[in-house]
Amino acid sequence: MEVQPELASGDVRHLQRCINDLVSLLALPAIWSGGDPSQVLHTLLDALMRMLRLDLASVRLTYPVGEPPIEIVRFAELRRPVPSAHEICEALSQCFKNDSRKWPPVLRNLMGEGDVSIVPLPLGLQGELGVIVVAAERMDFPRQTEALLLSVAANQASIGLQEARLLSHQKQVAIELDQQVAQRTAQLAAAEERWRSVYENSAIGVALADLNGRFLAANPVYEKMLGYTEEELRNLSFFEVTNEEDREPTQILIGELLAGKRQQFQIEEQYRRKNGSLMWVRNNVSMVPGTERVPRFLMALSEDVTERKQAEENLRRSEAFLAEGQHLARVGSFSWRVETDEITWSEQLYRIFEFDEDTPQTLERIFSRVHPDDIQLLHEMVERARRDGSDIDYGHRLLMPNHSVKHVNMVAHATRDRDGRLEYIGAVQDVTQRQLSEEALSKARSELAHVARITSLGVLTASIAHEVNQPLSGIITNAGTCLRMLAADPPNVDGARETARRTIRDGNRASEVITRLRALYGRKDATIESVDLNEATREVLALSLSELQRNRILVQQELADGLPLVAGNRVQLQQVILNLLRNASDAMSAVDDRPRQLLIRTDGDEDDHVRLIVKDAGVGFAPQAADRLFESFYTTKNDGMGIGLSVSRSIIESHHGRLWATPNSGPGATFSFSIPRASEGATGAENNRDIRTPDVTDAA
Amino acid sequence: MDALPHEAHAYDMELRQERRPAERPLVSVVDDDQSVRESLPDLLCEFGFAARVFSSAEELLASDCVEQTRCLILDVAMPGMSGPNLQRELKLRGREIPIIFITGSTDKTVRPRLLEQGAVECLFKPFSDTALLEAVNSALRPKSDRNGTS
Repeated sequence: MEVQPELASGDVRHLQRCINDLVSLLALPAIWSGGDPSQVLHTLLDALMRMLRLDLASVRLTYPVGEPPIEIVRFAELRRPVPSAHEICEALSQCFKNDSRKWPPVLRNLMGEGDVSIVPLPLGLQGELGVIVVAAERMDFPRQTEALLLSVAANQASIGLQEARLLSHQKQVAIELDQQVAQRTAQLAAAEERWRSVYENSAIGVALADLNGRFLAANPVYEKMLGYTEEELRNLSFFEVTNEEDREPTQILIGELLAGKRQQFQIEEQYRRKNGSLMWVRNNVSMVPGTERVPRFLMALSEDVTERKQAEENLRRSEAFLAEGQHLARVGSFSWRVETDEITWSEQLYRIFEFDEDTPQTLERIFSRVHPDDIQLLHEMVERARRDGSDIDYGHRLLMPNHSVKHVNMVAHATRDRDGRLEYIGAVQDVTQRQLSEEALSKARSELAHVARITSLGVLTASIAHEVNQPLSGIITNAGTCLRMLAADPPNVDGARETARRTIRDGNRASEVITRLRALYGRKDATIESVDLNEATREVLALSLSELQRNRILVQQELADGLPLVAGNRVQLQQVILNLLRNASDAMSAVDDRPRQLLIRTDGDEDDHVRLIVKDAGVGFAPQAADRLFESFYTTKNDGMGIGLSVSRSIIESHHGRLWATPNSGPGATFSFSIPRASEGATGAENNRDIRTPDVTDAA
Repeated sequence: MDALPHEAHAYDMELRQERRPAERPLVSVVDDDQSVRESLPDLLCEFGFAARVFSSAEELLASDCVEQTRCLILDVAMPGMSGPNLQRELKLRGREIPIIFITGSTDKTVRPRLLEQGAVECLFKPFSDTALLEAVNSALRPKSDRNGTS
C-alpha cells in the first residue's frame, strides 16, 4: 500500500489505534473460551465502550428460542434517571424488530436528548441470535474504522456466542452424563448388593474356584457346611475337600468342563469336613464364562443331602429287612386293584409261585399255578371279593411245573382309596412245610389218642379192680370163716353171725365202690342253661375252621339275627354241631368236580323251636337209607365209627328236640335239628314231653 | 369147691387139738383196709393161730409184737411205710420174719419180684382161705423145707 505523504499524524495514530482495537477484538474469543454467553456479551460490551467511547451499548440475546432473553446495557456516564436495561432494550427492539436486513445502519434522536447516533448490529447472519445496539452522541459516529470494528465485533460475538452456547451445551451434556453415571453406579451397587445378599444368605452353599479347583470364594453356607472359613478354603481346592473315593470322577467331569465338552454337571458325592467327618452333598458345578476383566472360573452350588441320603439308606435297609423277613418267613405280599386287576407282587411272592420277576402279574397267570382241584374255589373267592370286598383268609394249593404241590395260606384285607376304589393288600405264606408237619403231627396225635384211650381203659380197669378187690377180699374171708365157725363142734354161732354181718357190710361197700366209679368215669349230670345257638355255632366254627380249610371246605354262615335262646347243655349241643360239621366235611372229602360248599344256617322254627341245619355238597345218601343213618355203627364211610350221628340224635332227643336228614335236590345232604326255645317253664313239667323219633318222611 | 371148707375144717380141727393156746404161733396182720383187719384174725384163729392186727407198718414197729411174730401177713400198698419197705426195715433190724404179701393190685408182675426179695408168698385179693392156710403153714416151716413142700 502506498502511504500518502499528506496523511496527518493524527490519522496515523487513529489508524494505529484502530488496528490495536481490531487485534483486541480478534483476541476476545481467547478470553471467552470456557465462558458462558452473558460473560461473552459483558466483555464484548465493555470492550466496545472502551474502544469506541460509546455512550451506550446494549445487547439483547434472544437465542436459543424459548429461553428468557439476556439483556445487558452499558452507559458511558451516569445519567439520571437511569432507565432499566429492559426498558432500553424494549425501546430499541421496537426499532429493530423484523428483518435485520431492513434495519437502517444509523438512527438518530431515538431517545430525544440531542443527537445520538444509534447503530444496530445483528448477531448471527440474519440477526437470529439477537441484536447489539451501540450509540454515541457524535454525529460522525460511526466512522469508517468504527463501523469496521463494530462489524468485526458483532461477527466475533456471534462466533463466541455460538461457541459459548456449544460449550454450555457440552457442559450440560457432561453434567447429565455424570448424573447418569452416578445413577448407573448406584444401580450397579444395588444389584451387586442384591447378588451378594443372595450369595451370602443362600440356603445352598456356593463356592467359586479357579480352573485348578482352588477356591476363590465361598459363601457362609458353604463355610458352615465344611467347617472351614473362606480364608482357609482359599488355601484348598475342590478336590481336597472331596472324599478320596469321589475325587477321580469329579476330576474327570471338571476336565470335561475345561475342555468345553459340557457346560455343567451334577454329582452326588461326599465331602470331608474340617473335623474329618463325612457328609453327602449334591453338587451342581458349572463353568462361568470369563469377561474382559474376569477370567472364566468354576462355580459349585452345593446342597447338603446327608439327611436325605440317610433316609434313603434307612429306606433301602428296611426294604432289605422286609425282603429278608419275607424270605425267611416264606411270606410274600401283594396288592390287587379290583377295578383294573392291577396286581403288584413282592419279590418273595414271585419266588413262592416260581414265576419270573420281570413279567407283570395277571389273575390268569396266577390261576395257571393253582392246583386244578382248587381253581373253582379260588374263582368263587375272587368273585366274592369283587362283590362285597370282604376280607380273604384262605388256604389252597399250587401245582408247580415240576408237579410238586405247595400249600399256601392267603390273607388279604380290603381297603378303599380316596376315590372309593377297592384294593386288597395281602400276604401269602408258603405253609407246605408246616402242612406236612401238621399232617405228621395229626397222624401222631391220632395214634397217641388211640394209645391214650387204650391206656386209660387199662388204668380204669386196674383202678376198678383195686377198689373192688378190697371189699371182695373181706367178703370171701368172712364167708370162709363163717362156714368154718358153723361147722365147728359146737358151732360158733355168735362168731358166724358176726362174720355174716361183716360179709353183708363188705358187699355194700363193694357196691358203693362201683357207684362211685360210675360217677367218676361215667357221664356227669348235664347242666341246663340258656344257650345262644349262634354263639355256640360260632365257637365251634372257630375251633374247626382250620380243619375245614385244610379239607378245602368253603363255609357259608347264615346265622339268623335275634335268634331265641334254647334251654340245654351248651357243650353237648356243640358236640352235636361239631359232629354235623365233621360229617359234612367227611362227606365231601372225595368231591373234586365241584366246590366243597358247606352251609350252616340257624333260624327260628315254627312252634317255638329253634332250628340249625348243615347242608353239604357231598356224596349224600339214598332216601331208603335215611332211617338207618342214625343207627349205631351205621356208616357210609370206610374209616368212620358211625357212632356220631346216633350219639347226636340221643343228645338232641334229651333236649326234647329232633335230628333228621334229607337228601338235597342237588348233590349232598342236609342234616337238621330242632329244639325248643327256652321259656320260664322250660325245666318244669311241660318239658317232659315225649321224645319224638326222627321222622324221615316229612323231610324227604 | 364144696369140699374145700370141709377139708380145711378137718385140718383145722387137727391143729386145734394139738396146740394149747399159749403154744399157738403168733401171726401178725398189717393192712390199712379195715375189712381185712376185721376178717383175717377170725379166720386165723379158726386155723389155730394167735393173731394181731395193725393198720400200718409204723404201728407194728412201735408194738411189742415184732419179737413174737412167727409170720407176717403184709399189705403191699399202704399209706406211709409200704409193705416192701417194712420188709427191708425188719431185715435191717435183724428180724427176718417170714412174710406173706397180700395185694389188691391186678398187676401179676408184682408176685415174682416180691418172691425174689424173700417173701414166702404173694396172694392177690380176694384169696381163698385154703390158699392163705397153705401160705401160713409154709411160712412156719423152717426156711430150708419151704420150696420142697409148698
